[in-house]
Amino acid sequence: MSLRVIVANLIVSIKSFYREKTAVFFTIAFPVLLILVFGTIFMNQDDVRFDFRVQDLDQTHLSAELVRTLELNEKFTITKVDPAINATQYARNNKLNLVVVIPKDFEISLIGRMTRNDLNASVTITYIYDPSSTSVSTKMQILNSVFAEMNQRMSGKPPFITPAEVSILNRNYRFIDFFVPGIIAMTVMTASLFGAVSVNAELRQKGVIRKLSTTPITHTDWILSNVLYQFLLSVLSTILILLVSYGVFNVSLQMSVWLPVFVVLDVFAFVGIGMILTRVAKEAESATAAANAIMFPMMFLSGTFFPVEMMPGFLQKFSRILPLYYVNEGLRASMIFGDNMIALRCSVIIGIFAAVVFVLGMMTTKWEEG
Amino acid sequence: MTEEAEHAIHVERLTKRYGDLLAVNDMSFTVRKGEVFAFLGPNGAGKTTAVEIIETIRTPTSGKVSLLDMDVTKKKHKIVRRIGVLPQGFSSFDRITVRETIQYYSRLFSCRDSDIDGLIELANLADKSKEQFKNLSGGLRQRLGIAIALVNNPEVVFLDEPTTGLDPRARREVWDVLLGLKKKGKTVFLTTHYMEEAELLADTVAIIAKGSIVAMGSPMALIENNANYLVLTLQSVHETVFGIVRKMGFEPAHTTHNNIMVRVEHQDDVRNVLNAIKDAGASFLSLDVRKPNLEEVFLKLTGAALREDLADEVAQ
Repeated sequence: MSLRVIVANLIVSIKSFYREKTAVFFTIAFPVLLILVFGTIFMNQDDVRFDFRVQDLDQTHLSAELVRTLELNEKFTITKVDPAINATQYARNNKLNLVVVIPKDFEISLIGRMTRNDLNASVTITYIYDPSSTSVSTKMQILNSVFAEMNQRMSGKPPFITPAEVSILNRNYRFIDFFVPGIIAMTVMTASLFGAVSVNAELRQKGVIRKLSTTPITHTDWILSNVLYQFLLSVLSTILILLVSYGVFNVSLQMSVWLPVFVVLDVFAFVGIGMILTRVAKEAESATAAANAIMFPMMFLSGTFFPVEMMPGFLQKFSRILPLYYVNEGLRASMIFGDNMIALRCSVIIGIFAAVVFVLGMMTTKWEEG
Repeated sequence: MTEEAEHAIHVERLTKRYGDLLAVNDMSFTVRKGEVFAFLGPNGAGKTTAVEIIETIRTPTSGKVSLLDMDVTKKKHKIVRRIGVLPQGFSSFDRITVRETIQYYSRLFSCRDSDIDGLIELANLADKSKEQFKNLSGGLRQRLGIAIALVNNPEVVFLDEPTTGLDPRARREVWDVLLGLKKKGKTVFLTTHYMEEAELLADTVAIIAKGSIVAMGSPMALIENNANYLVLTLQSVHETVFGIVRKMGFEPAHTTHNNIMVRVEHQDDVRNVLNAIKDAGASFLSLDVRKPNLEEVFLKLTGAALREDLADEVAQ
């Protein structure tokens, strides 16, 4: 092993990287953009407001009070609709997903219930809604709970069951806190997998590897310098992701030795897979296609963008055989929950996997022709 | 000096098989130190396979190959430090400049004293030294490949098809660089399917066909020994000339519609043909008498042309 040779290779790789704008974009800018876009979308998910229209057909003091009560709910943004128009047609014409209609005899019925305790006195609030809308069911559920609470208060009895929330976390975490470790794991995976495929398949196809095999550089020098290069790129992109996450979204993550540990294991695991793919798929194009076929399921099924628990049972089982799942879980365990035991368990699993595929990759990568 | 010490390369009964395909068949030859040795043969003849075994890129099926007195199958690490290789279809890192590429290979050989500027000058690349590899033309890439092959000041330089795919001007520029190497007394192992390249540059030519050496010697000796005749070409001939020459017992052939080519044994035959044309009152614009070239030697020895584009011409 020659340090001079490894450094020479590293210099060439770094120069090739920063002169290739597409590589810079996908390695550095793309994950940062993902953080910015998803972070912005989900930044205020706890303060989400639902807008809908209310048509008060009663136009009385008590019906106006009901509208005012709804307006006081900080989750709702309410616009009033002229009682003279057809609410269903109005919703269709204006592509509204929800119009709440207060019936004409609202005040009379309410007085009947309150003064005479007439249990037959009741009203029906109508939801005119668009079932194809993804958010309308949430709006209706929240409205239902608001009306249920009103009904319960009108009964004059205190509630029997009162829920109380106790978080297992020290503080409230937001979606962005969950998202950042996943993006770090995904970015390192993508750079390492495609880096290995590009270095081994494209350069072999172009004949560069054949030329290198007539120089003193050894197989080990070559692989080590490429792993080192992928590690440096991964460190760079991780630092940028964290800077943007802290600077723009004020994330609350715990930095510990687990972060570099998982980045290193992520690099070794996916460089190893890349080397094996290069050997199996002889052409650069087919190696890239195979890398894509591995990357996409890994990206979407191993809990990078959303928790694995949101997926159907069989997919959850499948996700647990994906190496990126253990990087995601390990990084979240250490960066969000500070759980060293889970981080240790995940690091052992991904460590064994990385060692196996990397050794296999080294064994299958050959410079000499037949 | 012992015979071993005089030889840069010694190949004995080299054979390479790929399944049923016999790529190199029982080849034996030696290359003297300081000579330019050329493998001449068509594509698929086994030139590159044989040379890549000598360069340590491939392993032989059987036979012995010794390079600078070292077994190529056992001493790869030592051998690569003493040779320079321009592989067939040379390529490099797309976004690295000419100068950086030479520096990179110099570092791989741990050559602290590499004369980067000298190599750039030798390959006539001074005005392209800051150009990235992806922007270089085919000729410039080959010249860079040759500069890289020399970065460790090698004792033996292998150049595999250094001018294939280049236009005539680029080919001549590469030849100039190779002539410079020859002047420096480097041992050069060249593979080519251009007979003019072998004739111009090589001290010894081995003609390869179907994995075997069919003839070997200096270009002059190969021609003398294998094609002892003259080629008379008459240009813009009168239409009767073809019949006149044929009547004399020769076998003329049309190279273009009013040019004819005739193989004759002696200079007297040339004189006789010219006199017969004159006596018949026929005419021609100009004539050319030359010795056969390696292309014709190759055709005679193997029954096939070196290049497809020349097949028809040579057959005529």
